[in-house]
Parts: sequence; C-alpha cells; structure tokens
Amino acid sequence: MSYTKKSIVSATGVISAIVVVIGGMMARQEADLGLVHPTTSGTSIDRLLASRSDDVNVPAGDYFYELSQKLKKEYVEAVSDDQKLAVGAIRGMVSSLQDPQSLFMDKAQFQAFLNAREGKFEGIGADFDLVIGTKGIQAEAAGEAPPSDATAEEALVMIRDIPRLQVVSVVPGGPADKAKVQVGDTVYSIDGHWVVNSDLIKKFRAAQKSFIAKKTPLSELNILRNEIRSKAEHALMPLKAKDLLFMGKSGAVTVVWDHAGGQRTTKIVKAASAMPGFEANGSRILLPFTPASAGLLKQAIARKSAVTIDLRNNTLGDLSSMRQCLEVLVPKGQYGGFTTFRHDSPTPLVVHNGNSSPPKITLITDKSTRGVAEMFAMAASSKGYATLSGSETGGDRDNRAIVKLPDGSGYTLVTSVYRPILGGQKLVKKGGAK
Amino acid sequence: MKSVGRILSYSAILAICFLFGFSWQDIQQGKAPSTHAIGALFGVRSGSAATPEEEFQHAYYEILTDYVKPVDKADLKYAGMEGLMASLGDPHTMFMRPKLAEAFNDETRANFGGVGARLGTDPMGAKVVVVFEEGPAYAAGIRAGNIVTAVEGKSVAGRDIDTIVPLIKGKEGTVVHLLVIQAGKEKPVPIAVKRARIIAPTVDTKYLAESQIGYMSIASFSEPTAQQFDHELKKLEAHPLKGLVIDLRENPGGLLETAVDMLSRFFENKLVVKMKFRDHPDESATTYPGVLHDFNYPIAVLMNEDSASAAEIFAGCLHDYGRAKLVGTHSYGKASVQNVFPLIDKSSAKITIAKYFLPVTPFFGRKADPYGAYVSGGLEPDLKVELSTSSDVVFGDPKTDNQLQAAIHLLNPPTPVVAKRQ
Repeated sequence: MSYTKKSIVSATGVISAIVVVIGGMMARQEADLGLVHPTTSGTSIDRLLASRSDDVNVPAGDYFYELSQKLKKEYVEAVSDDQKLAVGAIRGMVSSLQDPQSLFMDKAQFQAFLNAREGKFEGIGADFDLVIGTKGIQAEAAGEAPPSDATAEEALVMIRDIPRLQVVSVVPGGPADKAKVQVGDTVYSIDGHWVVNSDLIKKFRAAQKSFIAKKTPLSELNILRNEIRSKAEHALMPLKAKDLLFMGKSGAVTVVWDHAGGQRTTKIVKAASAMPGFEANGSRILLPFTPASAGLLKQAIARKSAVTIDLRNNTLGDLSSMRQCLEVLVPKGQYGGFTTFRHDSPTPLVVHNGNSSPPKITLITDKSTRGVAEMFAMAASSKGYATLSGSETGGDRDNRAIVKLPDGSGYTLVTSVYRPILGGQKLVKKGGAK
Repeated sequence: MKSVGRILSYSAILAICFLFGFSWQDIQQGKAPSTHAIGALFGVRSGSAATPEEEFQHAYYEILTDYVKPVDKADLKYAGMEGLMASLGDPHTMFMRPKLAEAFNDETRANFGGVGARLGTDPMGAKVVVVFEEGPAYAAGIRAGNIVTAVEGKSVAGRDIDTIVPLIKGKEGTVVHLLVIQAGKEKPVPIAVKRARIIAPTVDTKYLAESQIGYMSIASFSEPTAQQFDHELKKLEAHPLKGLVIDLRENPGGLLETAVDMLSRFFENKLVVKMKFRDHPDESATTYPGVLHDFNYPIAVLMNEDSASAAEIFAGCLHDYGRAKLVGTHSYGKASVQNVFPLIDKSSAKITIAKYFLPVTPFFGRKADPYGAYVSGGLEPDLKVELSTSSDVVFGDPKTDNQLQAAIHLLNPPTPVVAKRQ
C-alpha cells in the first residue's frame, strides 16, 4: 500500500468516525424528543397551555412529589412503595379520560392483554370491547354530564354512560366457540352477578318522567326501582366482568348473554386457547398482524395472481406489522392517515416501496375485523387494490399506544384515529367499512 | 481473511463512536448513558423513568400531548392526585379538588342550616317524618305526614331522598320555597321556610306495648345525646320492659366523648377504643365510674351500612362486652381518624392519621377496590337481616320495619304454642 493511499484511508476513517459521533448526537436528540423529556417539555407545555390566570399553577411533577411526601409523613401506615403511588396516579389519569379504548391494566391484566396480542388466550377464549351504545367519540367529547340529581344507584351507572361488554372475536375451537358464543353477544350476567350498564337506568328515568306526567302508575316505578336496587347490590362493573372472562385457565363461569333475539345461558370452563397464526392454504391466507407476518406474506403471494386474505377474528394486531404487510401487498403511495381531535395536521399512512405488481386481492371481513385489521382492509380497498367480501367491519380504527410501566402494569392510550381518505369531511368513529 | 477482520473491527469502532456521540450529553453531565434513550432508538416504547416522580410526569405529558382529544391540564393533574391517594386502598384518604375541598369546609364548619324536620322516602317527593317543634318548619305550618313535592319550583317526585335533602338545606338565614302536600287540602301548598341552625333532638323513643319492647332511635352522637339518652330511657322504663332496641341505622357517628359517656352507663373502667398512630404512642378511651345504670333486660342494636364511626364504636363495645346483640346488615367500617391538610391551590388532602381498635372485635376498617366499591369491613351483625325492599318501610314501625321485627323476636321470642294440659 502506498503512502498516499494509506493516508487517504486513515483520513476517511477519522472523518467517518467524526460523522458517526455527530450522527449519534443527532440520533439522541431525536430519541429524546420521542421520549418527551419531562422537565424540558414540561415548561414549554406549561407556556403553551397556560390556563386560566386565577389558579395557582403548581406543576404536576411538583404536586406529585409534595403529596407523596405529605402521605409518607402523615398516613397511619408506613408508605414505602413510591412506585405504587406513581402507578396509582397514572391509573387515575388514564381512567379520567373515560375512554373504553384507553385503559389502565394491572400486572396480570396487562400480561393477559399482551399474550392475547400474540394469539395466546386464556379465560373463555374471546376478545371483548366496551361498547357505548351508538354514541361515537364526538358525542363523548361534547361532554354529556349525568344529571346532578342522580341517586346513588344512578350515579353508579351514570357517572358516564356505562359501556356494555361485547364479544368482538372468538378463538376458533376455544371454550367460548364450543359454547356457541358469537361475535356481537353482550354479557348480561356472570355467575348471577348483573353486569352494570345504563340501559336499565335509562328505562327508569323514562318511567320516572312518565310517572310525573301521570302516565305510569307508581307500582310500575317501584318495581323498576327495586329491580335496580337488588341488581346493583351484587353488580359487576364491566371491566371486572371482562377480567372474569378474559383471564384464568381453570374454573367454570355461568354467563348469561344478550344475544340477537333473546338471552342465552352458557356454562363455560376456562382454559388456554390459541388464535391460529399465519396460515397460507393455496391462495387463501389467514393474516394476523404480528412481526413475522410480513415475511410469510411475501412468500405466500409470490407468483400468485390472486389471493384471498381472511381478516376475521382479527382484533389485536400490531400497527407496525400491519404497515409491513401493506408494503408487501400494495404499490407505493399514500393510504389515508391518522387524525386526532386536536388542532394538528393528520399523519399520512404511507407505503414507501410497495409492491409494484400486486396480485388481485380479496379481503374477507366481518364485525370481528377490528383495529389494525380494519385499517388494513380500508387502506387496501381505498385505492381499489383489494375488494372486500363478507360483511361490515367492527368500526374500531383507534390507533392505540401501548405503554408498559416498570412494575409490569401498563395502559393503552388512543393517540389517533385512522381515516382511509384525508379530507375536509367529518370524522366518524363508529360504523365500519362495507 | 485479514481484510474481513479489519472491516469488522473498523465497524465496531464506528459503532462505539456512534454510542459515544449518542451518549455525549449524559457523559457531559457525568451520568451513565440513558438506557431509555437507547431503548427509544430501537423503537421500544417504555413508560419507565428513573424515579416514580419521573414515571408519573412521563405519563402525564404523554397523555397531555399524545391523547387523541385535548385534555384539560388541571383536570388531568387532579385525576392523577386522586389516583395517587386512592392507591392506598383507604376510602377515607383522598384528594379533594378545590371545589370539593370548599364544600367539605363549609360542611364541617356547620354553617349549614335546615328547616327542622326529618324526611323520609315517598314517591311523590319527601315525606315529613318528624317536625321539631322549635324549628322553622313547624312555625311555618309543616306537620308530620306532609309531603314535600317541589323545592324552589322544581318537582322532586320520584327522586331519591338523599338528593332532596341537600336541596332543602342551605345557608343559615336564607329562605327555601317548598310545595307541600297536606291532608285535606286540594292542591299542594306553597310554603316558604327560613333556614336556621337546627339543634336536632338526637334520641327518640317509642314504647311498643304489644311486645313490651322499648324502641330508641339515636340519630347521631352529638353533645346533648347522652343527656337525652338518660331522659328518654327513664320514659321507657316507666313501662314494663322485656327488652330494648337501640336503632343506630343511618347514624353517621359524631363525638367519641359522647359514645364513651353513654357506654359508661353500661360498664365502668373498661376500654372503649385504642387509637393507634404511626409515630406517637397509642391513645385509648375508657369508660368512667359513677354513672352505671342497671339494664335488667336484654338489648339489641339495629345497624346498617350507614352506621359509622362513633355509632360503630358504641355498637361494637356493647357487642364486645356481651351487652347487646347486633341486628341488621354490616356497618360502614369507619375505624379511623382523618386530618384535612389544605394545599396551596385550595385543594386539600384528607389523610387517615390513626386507627381505632375495639376491645375484642378485630380491626373493622372498610376496604374498597380501586373503583371505590365495598370489599370488606364494618361490624358484622349477630343476626343478619336485610331491609325489605318494599318501598313503604317506616323505620321504627313494628308493622313495616322487618329489621325491627327481627330484633323484637330476638329479645322477646313469641311464646311457642304448647298444648294445654288439663
């Protein structure tokens, strides 16, 4: 090696090392922005959202610290677990959103949730959603408060519109499937405990009005009142009811379902069950959205002119896996995007490289096609690369962040809602693709 | 081979350079490189941070900036503080937002006035059960049996009694406009009542001649209660007594001294409660000698989930020393003392600072789940009787009050029918 050649190589080495160091520093800045550094972003947010001038503004972090100290000093028992206080505070904040898709979960609940995302179910082998009547996210945002004169029992169910616990997917061959539980069934009671919902209260309110207008006899009103009282005594809140059906690998539960056209009683023994993973059978593909799916999908569609993808019983997919699958399947371009109810611009859903010669795609959907599977169906069909067969999708296109806390608990947070076409039209949450 | 090794080692050096650059700000500050930041580089989303305080802050800002809808900053902060206090699982340790703290303050300062009547459930509104003769309602012509059907022009028919009472109560000296149904009047009568500070009689008695049982209802443990107790007991004991029913249902408690005072009628120099603090020695309350009364008949105490605090101490001691049987449903489980600490922004923190322990009964403090629902606690009755769900129950009426009926049967069992011997 000549002298000049040597010096060029070493100079290149030194320069590239310096470039990489600077690159590292820049990457760190990016990473920190992504992390939302508590102290720095705190002050800027404080200024941005500077609220009503008359309140004493104690920053949240200081508040948390002061209150923890006060508790430690005064509470009758020793408070040593700071972690528990922090997690309690986070639980409080997440719950205050009153959003059935943004949920705090304790360690066991969170683990069951993460397992189900990998297809490993326990309980009765079904996924559930909390459904608030026909009200969309907008009606909620409008903030319909319960009447301030609600009684104790009513307050129980009217603090907000209490959602119903509904089956959104069923593991084929799992305990629920064997008991003929169907997507769309809602839970009426578990082991004799009524699952609270607002329907009965609404009925009572109506009867009350009609009583005051002297149309309903008092006896009828009292029957309803007593029904609420006795039911409320041993009632289950929907989230607790979900735990009973979603968690545990042994024991039996007697569940009464509200089913299209009447009630059904089932006795179901809980057991582990598994949602089928990726499957390619000829041109028919079962596509759960897990990290391995995109690679398998690529192999499965190779040299095929037409494929049919079954998106049923697909509710817990992972967004980045879904995007990788889109890359494999459809040509590059923009496929709608994610919007919020804040004053910010939507984030487009972009396929960067894509598949320039896509096969003819048919997607089978129904009510159990939800979350990222529903986004996938809408994205792929929005530009005509896929045709939808089957029935209407579930109507859940919330993009949820999943956050794990150090003690093993965690929460989901809805950060945006997918829309297949970004435009001036209003965002509607419910009602799926057809 | 040699060149492959060189490329590998060169790549390793570059990777180290990258990490050096990446961690430069930590190194500058003399800290270890942040693993969270490195995690974020690889797409791992983690809510973890070095301290619980940072963990909280991190979630706070994440919700504020990332949630799909705008969130009110102050509301979110307060919700966090409520969750923080609730995480201890003690329903009496709680965070009170400025508005709630203010209302609580008003209530404890007792500048709330009433009309001087006790109200009961009625489908048409609220039924006047008792009118205090010294009170303003009596002066305005309201009598027992009347039904309040509207307050300030708004119908209260079909509403729960607990929501009607707060409408009628208010600041002392102000006027409340009621619409009252009175027997013999064709239309409801509008009556204006000036709210006043009410010193309500807390003890009320009735002799049930049929069963020869004395019925005594104690509404709360306030200053004059012990005196009223003596006075009313004397009235009852003028009749032949086969037993005494003390009704503590809906009794929210009151002064511990009053409960001790009254228990001193039953036993001398006995422990009533022990109060355990965290950092300073236990304190206890004992009955004093000199006022012992001879109760030569059995006693039953009625209680329900709204019997709390001093009422539970009174009932619990009678039970623990074998002086009374408890009848009804479990009591509330208020076995602790709270202190309210005002905070800078007019919120306050209500914190349990001590626990009560009864002489025998193990700790009976209420436990609630994170949703606030009852899990355990309270005194367990010796005889469990649920109140009938029929809406025409009148407390203290042996014909309709099934819990009272059960207590009467316990004290004075109906004589079994025995074949007459000739």
